[in-house]
Amino acid sequence: MNPGLLKLAVVGSRSAYGRLTGIAGGVAAGVCLLLLLWGGANGLSARDDRGAWLRETGSPSVAASPTEDPTTAGPGAQVPLTADTVLMEANPAEVFRDQLISRRDVAALGSTTVKIPGIGHPPEPGRYYASPALQRLIESTPRDELGDRFGSFAGTIDEAALPGPDSLIVVTGAPEADLRQNGRAFLVSDFTTNAYGGSAAAYNTVLSIGAIAVFFPVLLLISIVTGLGAAQRRERFATLRLIGASPQVVWRIAAVETSVPSLIGAVLGVGLAILLRPAAAQIPVNGTRMFAADLTTGWAAAVVVVAVVFAASALVAAHRTARAGIGPLGVTRAIHEKTPTMWRSMPLFAGLAAMIAAVLMIRVLKVRHWLESPLLIVGFLLILVGIVIIGPWLTRLASRIGLRQARSASAVIAASRMQQTPVATFRSVSGLVIAVFVVSVFAGGSSIIESTEVPPARPGLLQPTSLHATVNAGHTPAQAEDATRKARELSGILSATVGFGPGALSGPDAGPEIYLRAADAPGLGFEDVPATETVAVDASFLYDWTTQPLALSPAPAANLDGMVPVVIVLGTDGTPEAMDRARTLLNNSGVTAHSATSTLDAGLQSSTRLIQGLAVLAYLGMFVAIAIAGLSLAVATASAVLDRKRVLGLMRLMGMPVFVLRRIITREAAVPLLTVLLLSVGLGFLVAWLMVTFIDDTYQMTWPEPGYFMALGLSLLLALGAVTATFGLIRGTSPMTATRFE
Amino acid sequence: MNNSITLLGLLGREPSYGYDLKHSYDRYFGAGKALAFGQVYSTLARMVRDELIRALGEETGGGPDRKKYEITVAGQDRVREWLFTPDVPSESLQSNLFAKTVIALLLDDDADRLLDVQRSEHMARMRELTRLKKDADLLRVLVCDHGLFHIEADLRWIDLTSARLAQLKKELQSA
Amino acid sequence: MSTNDTAVPILSARGLHHSFGQTEALRGIDLDVHTGEVLAVTGPSGSGKSTLLHCLAGVLVPDGGSVTYRPAELAPMGISSLGEPKRARLRLTDFGFVFQFGQLLPELTAVDNVSIPLLLSGTRRPEAQRRSTELLERLGLEGIGAKLPGELSGGQAQRVAVARALVTSPAVLFADEPTGSLDSLASENVLTLMLDLVREAGTTVVMITHDARTAAYADREVIVRDGAIGAGYRVSA
Ligand SMILES: Nc1ncnc2c1ncn2[C@@H]1O[C@H](COP(=O)(O)OP(=O)(O)OP(=O)(O)O)[C@@H](O)[C@H]1O
Ligand SMILES: [Mg+2]
Repeated sequence: MNPGLLKLAVVGSRSAYGRLTGIAGGVAAGVCLLLLLWGGANGLSARDDRGAWLRETGSPSVAASPTEDPTTAGPGAQVPLTADTVLMEANPAEVFRDQLISRRDVAALGSTTVKIPGIGHPPEPGRYYASPALQRLIESTPRDELGDRFGSFAGTIDEAALPGPDSLIVVTGAPEADLRQNGRAFLVSDFTTNAYGGSAAAYNTVLSIGAIAVFFPVLLLISIVTGLGAAQRRERFATLRLIGASPQVVWRIAAVETSVPSLIGAVLGVGLAILLRPAAAQIPVNGTRMFAADLTTGWAAAVVVVAVVFAASALVAAHRTARAGIGPLGVTRAIHEKTPTMWRSMPLFAGLAAMIAAVLMIRVLKVRHWLESPLLIVGFLLILVGIVIIGPWLTRLASRIGLRQARSASAVIAASRMQQTPVATFRSVSGLVIAVFVVSVFAGGSSIIESTEVPPARPGLLQPTSLHATVNAGHTPAQAEDATRKARELSGILSATVGFGPGALSGPDAGPEIYLRAADAPGLGFEDVPATETVAVDASFLYDWTTQPLALSPAPAANLDGMVPVVIVLGTDGTPEAMDRARTLLNNSGVTAHSATSTLDAGLQSSTRLIQGLAVLAYLGMFVAIAIAGLSLAVATASAVLDRKRVLGLMRLMGMPVFVLRRIITREAAVPLLTVLLLSVGLGFLVAWLMVTFIDDTYQMTWPEPGYFMALGLSLLLALGAVTATFGLIRGTSPMTATRFE
Repeated sequence: MNNSITLLGLLGREPSYGYDLKHSYDRYFGAGKALAFGQVYSTLARMVRDELIRALGEETGGGPDRKKYEITVAGQDRVREWLFTPDVPSESLQSNLFAKTVIALLLDDDADRLLDVQRSEHMARMRELTRLKKDADLLRVLVCDHGLFHIEADLRWIDLTSARLAQLKKELQSA
Repeated sequence: MSTNDTAVPILSARGLHHSFGQTEALRGIDLDVHTGEVLAVTGPSGSGKSTLLHCLAGVLVPDGGSVTYRPAELAPMGISSLGEPKRARLRLTDFGFVFQFGQLLPELTAVDNVSIPLLLSGTRRPEAQRRSTELLERLGLEGIGAKLPGELSGGQAQRVAVARALVTSPAVLFADEPTGSLDSLASENVLTLMLDLVREAGTTVVMITHDARTAAYADREVIVRDGAIGAGYRVSA
């Protein structure tokens, strides 16, 4: 192709620069987001990989007893510690303030060859390794609230074994005998690298769907910007055809003039992503920020994205131009859009069918099969594409009805345009519609992880401000009383109670009730205390899930002699400091079987890892989708105005007031938006329910949290903003002398 | 085209001999059909008789070709009148209008005005024909259209010429 | 209609000056447009005809000089000193516009295109459509009401544009090369239909044209040269 002609065609006019800038800018934003998200997805999995060792559950430290009857079997034979194993206990509930600390207690032989990730040789008893974030926390907090739980500092855990810079992880050394006490410790010879264990397939499915949901709006944005000024361009191409350019030359020019700014934009986007990476790493995902290095995608990825964007924009532009069939007469004859038909609903229904089939297979047929994951992913993709495809058809239906009802000039003009060009009109709002769909999916999906409410303080239930820990077998009442006496001396601790029973709660002799001194009962929040010296309450008093208040019963005449301490309960004033002091004291007392817990901890622990991952994607997705949707609506509306510059100028010349033009633009955005919005919301929740059911059919979806409605409101506001932003453009680009024929 | 008034116009520039006059005429207007000497001398004699021109002092040899002529005031008025009287739009008009334009330029007179005056005359005739067309039968319409198209051709020539007057003037003066 | 000393001006321009950057498009134009006349504005390309028309119609505000609407009446209106909303209103109610081509909204049917000015001035849609259809029929366009501009011939589209310009019964019709893109016969058809309607209603017309035969339909002609009314300005009737 003649380079001179090319130059003339690409940057022939001043308005061309605006268009080229628009394309380059939009593509830059899209590519930057794409790379950051890609990096984020990589980062999440890199982070899960680094944290995989924390999932190691080893092998039992107690050999299964040869006899089947557990009641007669004493404690099983202990499996001895060897040089290639360590004894480790994973502490399920190490809580500081409202944060969960991953704590591993380890005992090892001096000659051990086992290396603990990020640490190496296991710590000596009484010493600990902490992640840098935790160590900072320990140093900035009074020792009796946190530091005393772990012993003396031995070193920090290397980044290579930390999910993120904010991870709170501690590995403490302990004597072997201590760990053997409750039988929960296990033997580890090697640390796993499988980050997801059994639910990897489900997790990957959800991750793929999340990624599609986030990337799709980005791709849509890129596709919208590359279509900027299409009508203007068609006119120019017609002129080129008129002066003898062949169709091949014209579509080649179209390809070049779109792909060159796309290329520039893509390269800019890569640079922008590199610049923004440190900032993006500051966004906390799943409770911790990312290492900036985690967001790195590598040159290969950047090159692939740039190449794909470049090639795709060239192909699409060439294809669009070739399909538009621009003859030398060009646009003097209106280019007819193909009338959308019912067929456009097919992909949507196919997608729904696929997802429903996948879920039916699990729920009704109760089989899990390799087919479900692909079905679910393909179904989701089809639904996304289906919404974009069915939109124009629905828009046309709505505008047909609208045109019949139209009374004002703006309604007639807007409805007519929508009816003639439903595809182009819907394209403007497609980004927002998709965003609303995605947001609804995420909101539906994450509604199940709504944190449990703080249990109320009611008499007859464990007080939320209290901490309790069961007592290990083999401790005397004196040892337990010693701990409670120390506790009473601490500030912020209001009561300290020991509960007694015939045997340790986890042991074979455990009784159904816990016995208390009547004098201690009010400290546990009981109001109706029987007038006996000793009272009893059902052991379910200690469970998180007990919601019906329990009553005290007078205990049999027997006094507490001959019973063993089974539980220690510390009542606090509810301040985080006091609660952490109570935890530290109980955990260091040496008599407790597990870390002290409070009913408030349930909220920290209950959300499963998988669902948390989904929620992370959800909020990220909502943000990206809405931001992009607003951007693409603004871009699309602006280009719709630019495309009709002359006609709008003529309308103004005829005496049409500017506000009527604004109403036309507003209607053209509002009608397709509102038509498909309801569909999007409904479909979004349906899809979310299908996905959640797929993961685990015990999950329940609830009413979405207020954040969802805020997101929805935000999208509508953005839409409003995007449309009003173009009002300025109407004034600027519809000068009435636009009737001049250049 | 009126030869005599054109010759009179040419004489308006400066006094000249019959011989020179004939050559000037041939250069501007004689493309294809030069004037005969006889016609020039008889025309000059007639104009002397009508007192539009007069002979300047006779030279030796005394023949008509040895005489130098000069335009009189009456002659100048006659030329003016001719220049600014629009012709009735007709097919033969073209050469006359052309001559008028050239003479006006040679005399350094207002050629623009002359063309405008003619333009108005043409437009008036066109409006008249257009009015006649209204409510007329088709035959009559066709006759009117024939006239309209011819006048329009003249008008186009007028427009084109008035757009090129400056250039034409330069060319005539350098010749 | 003939112009004489008793003619009442409907638009009166005095000392109009207008520049686009360095280009001086109008340099001192005085012009009266008389009520009910058909005025042709001719002149070479780029001489400022369209600019003059835009100034007269209140589309452009001239840099210098004034345009007055109905100067002879009790309350003459200084168009060039009105704000855009008021001028827009005036253009909508009192003026109509026809251009060379491409002035119809491509997505609207012929009837809807014609109805737009009526809808804008508050007429109800069924009534607007009825009047539009009627006017289209008078312009010889029976049965094309439901067609889109892309499906019309140039002459038909131009007649639809004329209908749109006249549907509000404007006082002044501004036409910029209304037949510029049509062949002889088509332009005659459009012109005669337009002028018949206009003369019947007593509408004043300001019509720019390059074409002498079109100008011959006018009652009067002014020539614009180099941003001024031509030196050979002749009122000829
Ligand atoms: N919007 C504009 N920006 C810059 N210059 C302009 C603009 N509009 C008109 N001009 C200039 O003003 C001058 C007069 O333009 P105008 O359109 O009035 O001419 P015209 O007589 O209508 O010409 P034509 O017969 O070709 O339509 C021209 O030199 C033109 O270049
Ligand atoms: Mg013009």
